[in-house]
Amino acid sequence: MGAETTVVGRSLPLIDAREKVTGRLKYAGDLPPLHRMHHAKVLRSPYAHARVVSIDTSKAEALPGVSAVLTHKDDITGRKKTCNTPWVDPSFNFRGPMISEEVCYVGDEVAVVSAVDEDTAKQALRLIEVEYEEMPAVFDLEQSMQTGAPQVHPWGPNALEPSLFQWGDIEAGFRESDHIIENRITLGNQQHAPLDRNACIAEWDGDCLSIWTSTQALFWIRDAVTDFFELSPNKVRVHSTPTGGSFGLWWGNNFMFLAIAVARKARRPVRLVLTRDEVQTTVKRRERPLIDARIGIKADGTMVSQSYRHIMDNGAYGNKFDPYQSVADIYTTPHGRAEFIGVATNLLPAGCMRGVGDLTLAYAIEQTVDMAAEKINMDPVEFRLKNHWRSGDICHTSQEVLFAKLLFNKEPQVALTSSGLEECIRKGAGKFGWKEKWKGWGTPSSVEGIKVRGVGVGISTHISGLAFFGFNGITIKVNPDGTMVLTTGIGRMGQGGDTTQAMVAAEVLGVELGDVNVVDGDSEVCGHTMVTFGSNGMHMVARATKAAAEDARRQILEFAARRLEANPDDLDIRDKRIFVKGSPDIGVTLKELMSSPIYEYLSPPEVIGRASRGVEFDKAGKMMICDYAEVEIDTRTAQMRVVKFVAYHDSGTIVNPAICENQVAGGYCQSLGMAMTEHLVFDEESGAILNPNFMDYKILGPLDMPDPEIYFEQVYDEDGPFGAKGIGEGVTCAVPVAISNAVYNAIGVRLHPPITPDKIMRALRQKSR
Amino acid sequence: MEYFNPGDLNEAYEILMKYGDAAIPVAGSTFFMGHREELFDEVDAVVNIKRLGLSYIRLEKGRLCIGATTTLAELHRTGLTAKGPFRIFAETVRELKIMEVRNAATIGGEVCIAGEVDMPTTLLAYDADIVIGSRNGTRTVSMSEFHKGYLKNALQTGEMVIEVQVPEPGRRTGGGFAKFERTAADLPIVNAAVRLTLGRGDRCSDARVAVGAATVSGIPQRADAAEKVLLDGTLDDERIRKAAAASNSIECVNDFRASAELRTLWVECAVEDAIRKALTHAGEEK
Amino acid sequence: MHPITLNINGEKHEVSVRPHWSLAYVIREKLGLTGTKTGCEMGTCGSCTVLLDGKPYFSCLRMAIDSGSYAITTIEGLDADGKLHPLQQAFIEEHGMQCGFCTPGMIIAAKALLDENPVPAELDIREAIGGHLCRCGTYMRIVKSIQKGARIARGN
Repeated sequence: MGAETTVVGRSLPLIDAREKVTGRLKYAGDLPPLHRMHHAKVLRSPYAHARVVSIDTSKAEALPGVSAVLTHKDDITGRKKTCNTPWVDPSFNFRGPMISEEVCYVGDEVAVVSAVDEDTAKQALRLIEVEYEEMPAVFDLEQSMQTGAPQVHPWGPNALEPSLFQWGDIEAGFRESDHIIENRITLGNQQHAPLDRNACIAEWDGDCLSIWTSTQALFWIRDAVTDFFELSPNKVRVHSTPTGGSFGLWWGNNFMFLAIAVARKARRPVRLVLTRDEVQTTVKRRERPLIDARIGIKADGTMVSQSYRHIMDNGAYGNKFDPYQSVADIYTTPHGRAEFIGVATNLLPAGCMRGVGDLTLAYAIEQTVDMAAEKINMDPVEFRLKNHWRSGDICHTSQEVLFAKLLFNKEPQVALTSSGLEECIRKGAGKFGWKEKWKGWGTPSSVEGIKVRGVGVGISTHISGLAFFGFNGITIKVNPDGTMVLTTGIGRMGQGGDTTQAMVAAEVLGVELGDVNVVDGDSEVCGHTMVTFGSNGMHMVARATKAAAEDARRQILEFAARRLEANPDDLDIRDKRIFVKGSPDIGVTLKELMSSPIYEYLSPPEVIGRASRGVEFDKAGKMMICDYAEVEIDTRTAQMRVVKFVAYHDSGTIVNPAICENQVAGGYCQSLGMAMTEHLVFDEESGAILNPNFMDYKILGPLDMPDPEIYFEQVYDEDGPFGAKGIGEGVTCAVPVAISNAVYNAIGVRLHPPITPDKIMRALRQKSR
Repeated sequence: MEYFNPGDLNEAYEILMKYGDAAIPVAGSTFFMGHREELFDEVDAVVNIKRLGLSYIRLEKGRLCIGATTTLAELHRTGLTAKGPFRIFAETVRELKIMEVRNAATIGGEVCIAGEVDMPTTLLAYDADIVIGSRNGTRTVSMSEFHKGYLKNALQTGEMVIEVQVPEPGRRTGGGFAKFERTAADLPIVNAAVRLTLGRGDRCSDARVAVGAATVSGIPQRADAAEKVLLDGTLDDERIRKAAAASNSIECVNDFRASAELRTLWVECAVEDAIRKALTHAGEEK
Repeated sequence: MHPITLNINGEKHEVSVRPHWSLAYVIREKLGLTGTKTGCEMGTCGSCTVLLDGKPYFSCLRMAIDSGSYAITTIEGLDADGKLHPLQQAFIEEHGMQCGFCTPGMIIAAKALLDENPVPAELDIREAIGGHLCRCGTYMRIVKSIQKGARIARGN
């Protein structure tokens, strides 16, 4: 267990809170204009699949104020004609040329214009004449996998090579089972829908490039840009600003490359700001899954065998064939199989979104498990308590295993480091009042007139980063007055990562949070962190931060030891003062130490702590989640509302409770949106998105749901800094299935998100027939 | 695109006449700015009508007269709708949970948009008249005659809406408004407004049932069949349900926001809720 | 182009505008007051909310050209004297934000509420921000922040 802490564990305000409440925090769209800067706009395809037969830009180019027009004729392909180096592909969102003569979804880029102002750029777009030749398109996952289906994009087959995890003997497992439960699920098309409309400013100085954009993927973008434009990293400087929400959206995206290319052609700095429609319909969405689940159980409820075939709709340029997602290992069975197939369609590209992998698979597993419990008439909470994953269990579906196989042709085992899942299930049931509310299968938890209530439970897990995310490089520089500067490559997308990393440093160095400045978002200055994703901040990056702080601490203690004529090992730092353990009166303040000359050097010390840390992959620290939901369905109006929601999470030590509560509440809100209202609607004929904005892509607002009740089971994780694990993504994973299971309890029909009044109405009518 | 900010009605009328269909009168600007990309090529003249003295709410011979540029917030705030026969107007505004839009949107704008807003449904149930002004003087068109279809109305070239008039409801009259949305801050998917007058023995002596947002026509419509069920009857539970069910004669639009089937259900529900509210209020009125 | 004078946070700004330019566009792009955020540019997210004569408006749905006769307050006006507004203080202390993008709009809407109703009930608060989205889903702590801001403003 961990020692007493003075900074870690407190709900200290965000270090950038003052900037945020005063409006002074600059997102990419807020940056001041550069000299001679022009503004870009993008012409987009109205067709889901077509070839640009001719494109005439002469009128646009002749318009006064236009500095450049970029089309496929500019042939900006870089070296990336094939998909063979997945880790530098921008967000797995592979495309060959930046602008292709073959457009593969409605919204695909056809031309980019830069001009003196946005009005002129828009006017120029209207002057571009394009002739398209329509090509056959495919929108349906299963149709796309069939032989003879239209080829979605110019390279490769529609269905990527499956990735497969197997253990035990799956068929023997099913033969041993007393009951086999089969289930097919799908979910809606959720979009990240951050409020901020991202921008990219690109500026060339000779062959040196600087860009400014809001992102969670500073170094990934740097690497993608160097690769795409064939530049040395020392010619590329990426400045990342905080994002106005990201949730997986603001990684490397094509729009950034467009800004870079058009700036080069215009020979000026160029800014491209996306419109709301473009944010919603031309960047990315969550992959839509189609999952066939099969679970075998004994008559007493013991799970024996589990099998999942998880097909995901990648859209036009998504590149997910896995292992690029966390996979919900939540039940331990002797036999199992999980297969993942990424399939292209002529729709908006899909890729990672918060909770990726675990959310979709946990949905399938947890609904099927509910069906299994019903089969043997067992309380669903009891069923989960009997079968759930435990600390030390093997992670059969770990991505690390696939990567080890891919890179080294080895098949190692990965074990779970810690788990508070049992406590989350048990204590969550208590807080929720499960025993009182659960009336058995087929009986709603309550019926009052036309209002029917049901309860549901769902568990999930999520990674806390993965080893192959790479090394994290951190420095901590101590100033003469004892304040310090932490440099980190961590992205700032609202998760408070800068604050919690600074808290870790402050804890180690015996200073207050306010003493630590954080410098982030500059690829020339900060140490490497590939991307802030997969909830890697608190478990992985913070290990490097802690090590850098310990390095700085060691240096401080050595200087202090010299001054205090003591052994460094006998010293400690607290409240910005170094003292002799056991004789606290003997000591020196950090400020005095750092500002007073040392005799030998005639100058004060300089302390720079540094660390570069990768993590070993054989032990996985995963967060554990159990969510309980109670919903009420109005059988007259077919409307649903959430009555009560209890979220019980094990993310190890909670470094900042307020930040973590906000994360859990936010995951609940987003995933409840997915469960109820959020769904990009594609036109069946054209493949265009019918609801490209907040008018019709309905995010839940402050009047739409009750606050969740949030609890943390703080299981100390020996691998985590101060015992911490990640949190940001897992918070979304179990919400949709808890809601869906609750709906089933209320009305006796299994519905899949988005569970709209339309679906509820049809279910109620079908049932009453 | 030119901008005009006329100081009196005649000046405004001249501009509207000169530019014809390429002119757009603007006050709250929510519609114009919300659709500025599409309107950019169509509009040559933006005519600000806020300095024309059209922001007022007053009672004239029992009629509630609302100037075209009166905002929804003003209609909500005025004492004239706080209680009494016109309280339905405050209640209609109250169902719009977006304060910033209440402050900007005007009754004239809502009347002209007609489709995805609330106020026209209530105005239809209250037999409102729309006063139209132009260089040639003013004319009055009843609400039921004003709308021709989505964004199509009785306005001729050079004309604009200058006032909305609501006749005084008779004694023992009450109104109710109800709506259904996907989230609390949404376009209405279905709305309904009902006006009921109680006669002898609490029998319904007059009834108006109007349904909006859901209609295929894109404009609010009277549910005549529902009105027939209510008239001359005692408003017990059974009759209310029957009337609500009769409103399913309204043809509902089928789109990605909601199926026609769901909208039809919600029309019934909204009408039922609105009848119940109207009945309660009618009982309270002397 | 039409010359107008905008009175923002007590300061007069001369600027030339086109009729279709929104107030949000002008205060951000022409005057550099980027605290007002523009998430949707169609009145559906609330990020761009400013006060005109004390009342909240979506500045993306307002013509800049028609905004000259009002006293406009943006988020930058709340701590113009260097002192944080009680709401700003409360949002910091109560973690009423995550990414911070919706925060200026939330605070401006809350200010309009408190100026009219210093003792708001929870539902009043939720209705006052009813047209505002927080994609990080921070509503729970935003509401707490506004409650606390009201208490600080009342002096207890």
